[in-house]
Amino acid sequence: MTLSDISLFLQQGVLSGLSTGSVYALLAIAIVSVFKTTDVPNFAQGEIFMAGGYIALVLLAAGVSYAAVIPLTLVAVGAITALFQRVVMERVTSSKGVGVQFVIATLGLAYAIKGLVRQTGLGDTPRSLPALVSSDAVPIGDAVLTRLDIAIFVAAVVVMVLIYLMFTYTRIGKAMRAVGMNPRAAQIVGIRLSRIRMLVWAMSGVISAIAALLITPKVLVTPDIAHIAILAYAAAIVGGFTSLPGAVIGGLVIGVVENLVGLFISTNAIVVAPFLAILVTLIVRPQGLLGGKVQVKKV
Amino acid sequence: MKLSKSFAVALAATVVAFGASAQSDPGLTDKTIKIGMFGPLSGNSMAYGFDVINAAKMYYDKVNKEGGVHGRKIELVVEDDRCNANDLLAAVKKLVEQDQVFMLNGGGCSSAVVGAREYIDRMKVPLVMQAASGDGALYPPSRYIFGALSISQYAVGGSIVEFASQYLKAKKIGYINHDDAYGSWNLEAARFQAKKNGVDLSVESINPTLTDVTAPMLKIRAANPDVLLIATYDRPASLLVKKALELGFNKPIVITVNGTADTKQLAANVGNKDAFKNVYTQGLLADVPGGPKLKWVYDMYKSYYPELAAKPGHPTTYMPEGITPAKVIVEALQKIGPNPTREKLADVLANTNLDTGITAGPIVFTPTDHAGQKSAIYMKFDGESETLLPGVYRSSWTYAPIAK
Repeated sequence: MTLSDISLFLQQGVLSGLSTGSVYALLAIAIVSVFKTTDVPNFAQGEIFMAGGYIALVLLAAGVSYAAVIPLTLVAVGAITALFQRVVMERVTSSKGVGVQFVIATLGLAYAIKGLVRQTGLGDTPRSLPALVSSDAVPIGDAVLTRLDIAIFVAAVVVMVLIYLMFTYTRIGKAMRAVGMNPRAAQIVGIRLSRIRMLVWAMSGVISAIAALLITPKVLVTPDIAHIAILAYAAAIVGGFTSLPGAVIGGLVIGVVENLVGLFISTNAIVVAPFLAILVTLIVRPQGLLGGKVQVKKV
Repeated sequence: MKLSKSFAVALAATVVAFGASAQSDPGLTDKTIKIGMFGPLSGNSMAYGFDVINAAKMYYDKVNKEGGVHGRKIELVVEDDRCNANDLLAAVKKLVEQDQVFMLNGGGCSSAVVGAREYIDRMKVPLVMQAASGDGALYPPSRYIFGALSISQYAVGGSIVEFASQYLKAKKIGYINHDDAYGSWNLEAARFQAKKNGVDLSVESINPTLTDVTAPMLKIRAANPDVLLIATYDRPASLLVKKALELGFNKPIVITVNGTADTKQLAANVGNKDAFKNVYTQGLLADVPGGPKLKWVYDMYKSYYPELAAKPGHPTTYMPEGITPAKVIVEALQKIGPNPTREKLADVLANTNLDTGITAGPIVFTPTDHAGQKSAIYMKFDGESETLLPGVYRSSWTYAPIAK
């Protein structure tokens, strides 16, 4: 490998990794938001992401214009996740369910979504959504990104900033943080827990749908695309499962690490890289990069 | 002790009847021969089974209308295996044990059909596969299993390297495959063919679930091959063609059959016609879809299934692959004569050399190789239509058992 190859690989690996990693970061934010507020790791996040892609495809196939497909998809996915929280998760909560029961409920949602998607008649054929931005190449140093890559990164950053602002400066955001810190105390001061949880789930659904609409033109959607949630979980663990900024950093790290491992070690090792990142994090800093103090909770 | 006369007659009749039935395999009567068919008739993979089985049915029906095979009409029993190993094995067991079929003709999904190998070997029932390549069940060869009548993965890899070196005159080839069983099979034959043809092979193996193909495509570009061969499934193939355009890779790209089930969708997924300035696709049939050599197949389908043919998406891409094994079976049964047995069928099938006019090459089974079809055609794909190129390119790889 020559020096110019090394330089090219580094530049391209980092830039492409940031673009893909920003989508992992969005999904990681969705996972962390739900976890921080409800203490539940949502194992259906990948399927929710996939559902966003398929809802958009079905609407397009029905002749709806893409300008309308986008908001309709966001509303639909947000409604599905909010409904799931209201109907299923609240039932588990009121039955004094413990952690593993919530997890099983999310797994049930994952299987239900996958089953429903397979009924759409779209089969296993990989499909794309229309790209909102062209795929024309933009040279950056020795590397090349497309306008779509840049748009994905920018859109993801905008969403992350909006979420940060919401959590920091809005009443709803503060209420969500309060519920996450101490549900009983939040309830005492008049915050309706079920409403806040429903809103958090709706928000995580909308974020996942945004991620799907952004990245589907780049990675294509199939019923198996839900595996992308594994990368989002890796991002959340690396960044810190209780930290939204950590989820962002984790996502970008995973995206870049995947590419650099593929370029400098082996393409066979790309899929292993996120798991190695998880292992290293759990050994060196189990709470993640920005996860605060180590906490051990009984599930 | 004296036996009564009537008892002796009854005993003799029982012995004769038992002896007669012991000589006749299940699924055979004077008037019929029963064939068990199975494939994915429902679910996401039904493209590999639904119209494939329809094609086989229409061919068997044609044979029956012409008098059958040595006076016996072909009777079919069809089961849905849903393209998964558990359902396939259950379907095969039902066909063999409950329906008492003479032989099996089925299997559209390779990974599923492999799971039935042990049972079929144990029950000694001949199986001729349909659309499945079935490499995992064909090597090492089983006496009773015959497959890859579409094309084997080994042949996919060998043939595409042959095309790249002979037609595109490549000396250095970039090869992207999967790091699964399919990928290892096509790579083994690709390496064999490359060594035989004196060309260099630069390989990147990727996981089928890969989200970002920047790394493999950039490494291939850095290796500066004359041609890029893509032996991946549809989704990664689309992503690689797209990434090749983004990274300015303008050398010829050839995509194997693994990634070209639906070329229209491939073009839609890539989303830019410029990406197809130098793209070729591999085909395993004798002609391009809709071409003159296969017109009779599609006309036959339309006459047998007019309502289906009027629906969008029918017939499916793999439909002609149902006729090839049916032709092979009928020819084998004709050769055996009026007293077929399963063992005779296995022997005759193992010495098959039949040009069905449907696949790129003839179906050739030998006693040591039960993978039937090893050739492919190639087409230039411009993002809209495929243009057939001259020649048929055959893989040279042959199975060599591992020395103990």
